[in-house]
Amino acid sequence: MDVIIDEEKWLAEGIASVQQNAFYMLRAVDSDNLREALKYSAQMLSELRTSKLSPHKYFELYMRAFDELRKLELFFKDESRHGVHVSDLYELVQHAGNVLPRLYLLCTVGSVYMKSKEVSCKDILKDLVEMCRAVQHPIRGLFLRSYLCQVTRDKLPDIGSEYKGVGDSVLDAVDFVLQNFMEMNKLWVRLQHQGPAQVAEKREKERNELRDLVGKNLHILSQIEGVDLEMYRDTVLPKILEQVVNSKDELAQHYLMDCIIQVFPDEYHLQTLDILLAACPQLQPTVDIKTVLSQLMERLSNYAASSTEVSDHSLALLVSSFDTICLLTMSILQVLPEFLQVEAFAKLNNAIGKVIEAQIDMPIVGAITLYTSLLMFTLRVHPDRLDYVDLVLGACVRKLSGKPKLEDSRATKQIIALLSAPLDKYNDAVTALTLSNYPCIMDYLDNDTNKVMAMVIIQNILKNYTCISTADQVEALFELIKGLIRDIDESPGDELDEEDFKEEQNSVARLIHMLYNDDPDEMLKIICTVQRHIMTGGQRRLPFTVPPLVFSALKVNSLVRRLQGQDGEADGEEAPASPKQIFRLMNQTIEALSSVPSPDLALRLYLQCAEAASDCDLEPIAYEFFTQAFILYEEDIADSKAQFTAIHLIIGTLQRMAVFGVENRDTLTHKATGYSAKLLKKADQCRAVYACSHLFWVDEQDGIKDGERVLLCLKRSLRIANAAQQMANVTRGSSGPVTLFVEILNKYLYFFEKGNPKVTSSAIQGLVELIRTEMQSETSTPDQGTTAFFNSTLRYIQFQKQKGGLMGEKYDPVKL
Amino acid sequence: MASRRRKLLKIIILGDSGFVNKKFSNQYKATIGADFLTKELQFEDRLFTLQIWDTAGQERFQSLGVAFYRGADCCVLTYDVNVMKSFENLNRWRDEFLLQASPSDPDNFPFILLGNKVDVDNGSSRVVSEKKAKAWCMSKGNIPYFETSAKDGTNVEEAFMCIAKNAIKNEPEEEMYVPDTIDMTNRAHSQTSSGCEC
Repeated sequence: MDVIIDEEKWLAEGIASVQQNAFYMLRAVDSDNLREALKYSAQMLSELRTSKLSPHKYFELYMRAFDELRKLELFFKDESRHGVHVSDLYELVQHAGNVLPRLYLLCTVGSVYMKSKEVSCKDILKDLVEMCRAVQHPIRGLFLRSYLCQVTRDKLPDIGSEYKGVGDSVLDAVDFVLQNFMEMNKLWVRLQHQGPAQVAEKREKERNELRDLVGKNLHILSQIEGVDLEMYRDTVLPKILEQVVNSKDELAQHYLMDCIIQVFPDEYHLQTLDILLAACPQLQPTVDIKTVLSQLMERLSNYAASSTEVSDHSLALLVSSFDTICLLTMSILQVLPEFLQVEAFAKLNNAIGKVIEAQIDMPIVGAITLYTSLLMFTLRVHPDRLDYVDLVLGACVRKLSGKPKLEDSRATKQIIALLSAPLDKYNDAVTALTLSNYPCIMDYLDNDTNKVMAMVIIQNILKNYTCISTADQVEALFELIKGLIRDIDESPGDELDEEDFKEEQNSVARLIHMLYNDDPDEMLKIICTVQRHIMTGGQRRLPFTVPPLVFSALKVNSLVRRLQGQDGEADGEEAPASPKQIFRLMNQTIEALSSVPSPDLALRLYLQCAEAASDCDLEPIAYEFFTQAFILYEEDIADSKAQFTAIHLIIGTLQRMAVFGVENRDTLTHKATGYSAKLLKKADQCRAVYACSHLFWVDEQDGIKDGERVLLCLKRSLRIANAAQQMANVTRGSSGPVTLFVEILNKYLYFFEKGNPKVTSSAIQGLVELIRTEMQSETSTPDQGTTAFFNSTLRYIQFQKQKGGLMGEKYDPVKL
Repeated sequence: MASRRRKLLKIIILGDSGFVNKKFSNQYKATIGADFLTKELQFEDRLFTLQIWDTAGQERFQSLGVAFYRGADCCVLTYDVNVMKSFENLNRWRDEFLLQASPSDPDNFPFILLGNKVDVDNGSSRVVSEKKAKAWCMSKGNIPYFETSAKDGTNVEEAFMCIAKNAIKNEPEEEMYVPDTIDMTNRAHSQTSSGCEC
């Protein structure tokens, strides 16, 4: 804290002194007094000799002096005012007492001198850059040279520059900046060895603040137009890299590599990849080379991407302006071949390999980051080269091999980025399936990350509606997502949140629907593959995965049938994808589910299959499925509510089955009515029994219409309703609601209208009266719902009576 | 007394779109620190030397901070008419400048706004209208507004002229620092540097 306060004080004092001397200096300037102006400017510049300020504060002070020197520079320029020729002035300022002020003044005059064009810029530049060697104090030296850099910036001999005198060449400018750069780099690197070791950390921080002074030189080099590719490749880059490598300093190396990549243009990098990359393994082992290389690759891939964008765009322009397009396409179309020509990918791949090899201590996350960058580069620059993608993944696998599964969360995150990149690029998981090294990398992930990645893959497929259409692809896919399909390493997923688990499995279920092929044979293979995989899923997963598989399989049947219809073949018995085959497979699959146990679900699926088999005209198979359903009902469905639901499902399905001959149908309906009558609650019994009446009356052409047995069912249900009423009387002293009677009445009406001769108007009349009596009896508890139900039923009868016509006549005998 | 002489103007260029380096190029080259350039200009009968600090377009390479903002005579804000974000950032740049340069009269400090790259795609990719930009200028105390083309530097000269005109209009009564009575000789001697006499 004290240091900061002191520093503020010193800075304030320094600024005050600069201002005071500047005041006298300007007063001397205004009165054209050169001697006094020089004296006060030297005093002002002496303030920069301080060693007490950190780089930040020193920069503030420097800027004050810098601004004042601009005014002095104007004065120097005006020989008419001070009467001294600039060449003499150049000598004169060298009489200043201290080195630092003297050199600042010399640089200032030097700039004027060059501007006068009376001298070869080359000589002045050479002189100045040499003279500045006199200051070896790192901070002061760095700022002095940065001043030199700034005042000479717009006077460097360059192509098209007015300062390019006879005998001066671009090379002189380059030599000057390079030399200044080398000197500054040395000062900068040396700074770390100054002062006691205790303040090393602070010193590194200060050094870091000073970095842009050094980097500025590289920026100036990049702005010199005369630095063409050839000069860059043969002179500039090798010299810079030599400095970088020889500095043997982590901070300098990392920063300067970054600078090189950022300040010079992309096409230069592309054409000098060898040189730049060859420097990488020579850097200190602690240098964060992965960030440097990643940035390089990012730049290059942006370059490739932007130029393709422009070329797309230029095609659009073609319509409007032919001339522009010619120019644009010519420049653009060169870019991509350029990447190929210089073999950018091979070089980068090679360099990365070497860096990883050289930096033994690089954490695994570093290597993976590098590979991820290279992969991004490949995907953007060579989207058609899947072999490159696989190559990168393969290199990654080699790096990972022989190591235990990754536990470092940053590394696993990187791997997810690595594996997601091809998916995002191609928006087609099928492409990823062709990469042989893809699954190998997944194997190095811990179980949780593996699942995350599997989910990424599934989401990608679902999002893009990717159709996975061959059994081989399905096999590869399920191998990739096996973390979701079964427990790996026999570690039960107990710790997994129930909701997460459901989400995962629902995704798998949705995925199964995306597997499709129009060809029944291939589709059957797909089904078999999926079946094989999901059967290993264990009891928690099967309820999620079996249903979509069953429905997928049933789709095959309709496919087969459609094809058969086309070909006119009667039976696909011999084809591999025969319905029989599929049903056999389904039988096994659902059986697994019933042992899970999920009997309710299994029962529904059996019934679904039975109906499908009926559609395929396969009576024995349909019968078998029903048998299975009935066995399940008898053995595994114990809950009365579940039984009631199951009965209705059975009745509903059975009613629609057209395939059964009389005998089979009798057996099954007999069973179903039997179950109905044995339900525990009377009300349930009653409802199930009247529902059974539909089994004997199928309202279709050729449908069974057995009026007698319909009536039997209805009568039986009435008896049960009566019994229920009596039981209610006995146990509660009041009769139960008459809802059941009203419901039965509605069934009577249904069959009456359907023309069942056994259901008569008098029976209806009797039932209406019965209900009225029941409702008026003192023991009955009034129930609003039932009353309303009954009343609307009566209104319906009234309506039918009044309608006239056939229906009106039919209802006529019913008296309300 | 010096008013007839050459006038020095310090100009800071800020914004997401640089303009001094006006050569058409789709090549990205980062700038390190601020780019410092001088430019001479004649306005009416006066000669001006413009001292231009162009930092536009990057923030990453500013390890020493922005002490060079101080003492500016004018601040040129730039944005790319094809990039909405660069327009939205103008407020941030303006505030940042006023904070760091701390001019004596922030409300009346002369700014100029340049809408850059109007020529790109013959203006078809433009997203910030001239009207919108002018409205912004109005809301900030009627800042002069110019539209420039990245390719040929249209209006850049006019913008500089405007800066010069502003400078004459706002010419202060040669504000001068009046020194305290401190004995300079004593202080100069007490100044010690760490064993090096440079």
